[in-house]
Amino acid sequence: MTDAILFWFLALVTVCAGLSVILMSNPIYSALSLAMTMVGVSALFVTLGAYFIAGVQLIVYAGAVMVLFVMVLMLFDLKHEIQAFTRGKITGAIKIASVGILAGLVVGAITLGTKAIEAAKATEAVAGKTYDNNTMSLAQNLFLQNVFGFEALGVLLLVIAVGTVALSRSRGGTHARD
Amino acid sequence: MMNMGTTPFEITINVIKTILVFLMMVQLVPILVWVERRGSAFIQNRFGPNRIGPLGLLQLLADAVKFLTKEDFVPDKGNKYLFYAAPIFALIPASIAYMAIPMSTPLIVGDSKFLIQGFEVNVGIVFILGVSSLAAYTILMAGWGSGSKFALMGAMRAAAQIVSYELALGLSIVGVIMTYGTFNLSDMIAAQQGALTFTGFGSTFTAHFLPNWGIFYQPLGALIFFASAFAESNRLPFDLAEGEAELVAGFHTEYGGFKMLMFFIGEYGHMMIASGLFATFFLGGYNIPYTTVQGVHDWLMTTFGLSVDGANIANTVVHFLMYNVKFLILLWIFIHVRWTLPRFRYDQLMDLGWKTMLPWALANTILTSIVIFAASQFAF
Repeated sequence: MTDAILFWFLALVTVCAGLSVILMSNPIYSALSLAMTMVGVSALFVTLGAYFIAGVQLIVYAGAVMVLFVMVLMLFDLKHEIQAFTRGKITGAIKIASVGILAGLVVGAITLGTKAIEAAKATEAVAGKTYDNNTMSLAQNLFLQNVFGFEALGVLLLVIAVGTVALSRSRGGTHARD
Repeated sequence: MMNMGTTPFEITINVIKTILVFLMMVQLVPILVWVERRGSAFIQNRFGPNRIGPLGLLQLLADAVKFLTKEDFVPDKGNKYLFYAAPIFALIPASIAYMAIPMSTPLIVGDSKFLIQGFEVNVGIVFILGVSSLAAYTILMAGWGSGSKFALMGAMRAAAQIVSYELALGLSIVGVIMTYGTFNLSDMIAAQQGALTFTGFGSTFTAHFLPNWGIFYQPLGALIFFASAFAESNRLPFDLAEGEAELVAGFHTEYGGFKMLMFFIGEYGHMMIASGLFATFFLGGYNIPYTTVQGVHDWLMTTFGLSVDGANIANTVVHFLMYNVKFLILLWIFIHVRWTLPRFRYDQLMDLGWKTMLPWALANTILTSIVIFAASQFAF
């Protein structure tokens, strides 16, 4: 009962925050709403028993990435922000098509996800599995089963970081010392 | 995990406990402000507040009355909602994170077991770091909502500093996590009982003259954690966010009265989290040096002839006092450092964070993992 109340409350907060990201006209409010969405998602992880993922979600997305977004947005001059709405037929068609694709994705994800959850629940009920040590199972999944993909992603991020530094230094950068 | 108990009695106790920990934190702030003002006065050869009450202790009560009766002011060009929301949000991360720190051994009376902390989270460190990292938003909200250039620049500096030093802080803890093999703060404290004992290379080494504290396993990690904790709580020598000479007062330039006091409470809350975590990771938490929790319990039972329940209660009280001794000494070090060290320049601050502390923290992580691997694989 309390779990259900908690879930619906958190889901409502998260969805409202997510909606206000795209409905607010002020980009600062949008960015803060996105941070609120991240916090809501992490709270939902807690209700699912995934404490480690919830904490990482808070540290990485809410605590670091979104802070940088908000920081950069606050440096813009937001007074002359004009809402740009196009009314062309082609762009309208693209919009409707993308809405359709998104709706299809959401429905597909829900149906497939429900099937996968039901299947997982059935196997766990047989195996009598508990979620006490899910940090360890996450680590085993990442570093034993999917270690190549994990390392490849790490290399990709490193390449992006090096590329960013190279690009910013090619024009002198903020600390132009050479 | 994070459940609030099963019976109505346990749920009630747990709810009261959460409120009590929050009140403890808020009530410590006036005392800390008094210690800070009197302490700074002694360091700088002044008197400090000594007129109201014995030793000037009632000064803070007078200040609180003044704060409450000041005019409620909002800048004309500011954003009213963010301006009002920021001080309230400033209290939330600090108080929630502090509740996850265990302050004494669990109190066991009969069949009931009460933890002396707001709530226990299985991944305590990750939770505390995650929640306290949200503090950057309150500073940004205050800075932008004030609609003032000084406030915005102070907020930018503070947020950049917090995000930069979070990396070094997080990495310095990784060594601790690997040493104890757990995220749980209570398990970490349990691993730091007794005399310094190191098991590895096929044998066990014991140094009876040292307590089994994390600082002897992770000296570099402790140093980096300590330095980044100052930066995280925006205090000198890292208080670039409120450099008075350049930025008036930084992100809370436009705030006055009780709203500014709430930022103060948030800042002291971060100091308390840093002190509590440092005590937990590196100074054995609530453990009394050289002894174990069970040893103290048995000693209390035999020496004073207490029953099991009585000894449990006395044990919890003794360990709670021990935790507070460590906690208050660390808080005093925070205050002492603030009034003795000068401030960094901004580029020095960023260079220190990114080019010195981050590589050293990484090196500490790699070295720790190599030592742990070698200790478990090879034998003399």
